[in-house]
Amino acid sequence: MNSRFYYDLIALAVFCAVIFLGVPALMSYDGFELNTFARYLSLAIVSMALALSWGTAGLLNLGQAATFGMGAYAMAMHLKLKVSDGLPDFMGWNNVEKLPLVWVPFESLSFTLLAGLLVPAAVGGLIAIFMFRARIAGVFVAVITLAFLVAFQLLVIEQQGFTGGQNGLTGLAPLTLAGWTVDTYSVSFYYLVAGCLTVALALGVYISHSKFGLILRAIREDADRTRFFGYNVATYQTVIFCVSAALAGWAGMLYTLVLEFASPTYMGVSFSLAIVIWCAVGGRESVLAAAVGAIIVNLLEGRLSDVFVEGWHMLLGIVFVLVVMFMPRGIYGVIVDVVRRLNEARRGGRQDSAEDALLPATIQTNRER
Amino acid sequence: MEHLQVTDLHVEFGGLRAVDGLSFDVKQGEILCLLGPNGAGKSTTLDLICGKTQPTGGSIRVNGVEVSRLLEFRRARLGIGRKFQVPSVYKELTVVENLSVARSRRPGIWHALTRLSLRPSKDVDNILELVGLTEKSQDLAGNLSHGETQWLEIAMLLAQDSRLILMDEPTAGMTIQETQRTAEIFRSLSGSHTLIVVEHDMSFVRNVADRIIVMNRGTKLAEGSIAEIETNEDVKTAYLGH
Repeated sequence: MNSRFYYDLIALAVFCAVIFLGVPALMSYDGFELNTFARYLSLAIVSMALALSWGTAGLLNLGQAATFGMGAYAMAMHLKLKVSDGLPDFMGWNNVEKLPLVWVPFESLSFTLLAGLLVPAAVGGLIAIFMFRARIAGVFVAVITLAFLVAFQLLVIEQQGFTGGQNGLTGLAPLTLAGWTVDTYSVSFYYLVAGCLTVALALGVYISHSKFGLILRAIREDADRTRFFGYNVATYQTVIFCVSAALAGWAGMLYTLVLEFASPTYMGVSFSLAIVIWCAVGGRESVLAAAVGAIIVNLLEGRLSDVFVEGWHMLLGIVFVLVVMFMPRGIYGVIVDVVRRLNEARRGGRQDSAEDALLPATIQTNRER
Repeated sequence: MEHLQVTDLHVEFGGLRAVDGLSFDVKQGEILCLLGPNGAGKSTTLDLICGKTQPTGGSIRVNGVEVSRLLEFRRARLGIGRKFQVPSVYKELTVVENLSVARSRRPGIWHALTRLSLRPSKDVDNILELVGLTEKSQDLAGNLSHGETQWLEIAMLLAQDSRLILMDEPTAGMTIQETQRTAEIFRSLSGSHTLIVVEHDMSFVRNVADRIIVMNRGTKLAEGSIAEIETNEDVKTAYLGH
């Protein structure tokens, strides 16, 4: 087996052990603390989703928060319908008298879960088809996705009667999943989120090590060259964009469950840029590193804002600047460099000893002659 | 049988006629060398055949199929492979990863999604052996020397296994021994593969060429065997500028 794949599987196993066994024990199975950590884990999913499109394929999607928000709103619409009797309260305040058609199917949980994945994937795919057929690349991808994000957030805020506008969707019912009413301050809910993250990461690691992932890395480096090998570059880029958007939607659904409301700030520019920062700090080349980056930065943000109520934004900013300046490939880059150096040192040692071992044999053959 | 038929090919870059009414055929399994002074349109001709540049007129047929309006990846799937003048390998990928990308017999998404990137392969091992990069298979392509990079790109074309291979100055930067080795590999490819080679090294051309076309200012100046070309008056004039 390929050694890098092997390392990634070990790292994934260690990571799972930490989030499934280590973290709950460390927080002495306290529901409130675990709820906070579940929030970090759901954000880790959107960060690893960005690593797939940005790190692997080189497509910097600054609109990741839009697809995240779509998932969040899908879940919130379902939970809002569960708590309201026919018509959600805010619709009445906005003179909407009949439940809008788009809301009707969200009564069904299975539809909601599917929509939370497929709507972001479809929207992402549509944008991707237009961009990548026209061979748009580099910074222009960032500009277009950012413009889409801003427009989409504006649309959600403007359509108050359908979306709750600036207030978002609040006062939600708890989710009932196959007869189990999810208590978001319970250990089992934490395990649900951790399980989702594990599945997403396993998918991400597989994609990175599949031939598909390899072709994406080739496209990132030289899209034209890859075309001359017969690969339809636009299709590859569109597919990874869809997968990334679907994962972001999944993270959004979990995020709504954790916070028990959906707000248009989930689709804000600052949130979208924050995702990029998590991804960059962890290391965009590895989905696992991007997930760890999201957890570390959010953990840091939580702790810093407790201690330095005023100045924590400044401290966080300094940390980011330092990361970008001194470890441009993130924490992952540092680890890879260290491992490579250790390997080189070890290989150097082994070559010496191999030459030593060869020496007597050569002398022997010479004697026989 | 004709593998490639180029008829009355034209391309203009802002008034400059880089290729101007060029016509030629290449037979199945033949090695054709394109010669000519700088700016004669040799590389542009290769660009037009592989789809890097769109022609302004004329026709390009591969096995009788008109390809001049197809996108690059479609032409590659019809069996056109290209080696560029500036060696273009993926510097951030390892040598085996480069070869794995080049092995594109099945370039579809589904096939790529259901395969791990680096399955051990006898073919890849053989190609690495052939070009002498076995020892460096796990190195990043960016760490190779210039000559090794040339070999890697040739290896990638072997892995791609296109029936029609376009080579742009394959021996540039190689030592005399390496050039001879390249000539041997090309000779072994002929018959099963059709090659069009742009090259300045005349001893290399003498070694490999079945037929030669000399270009000048976007048109065909002369065509024939090496002996015919060397005695051709027009060719002498074009090169010496009388």
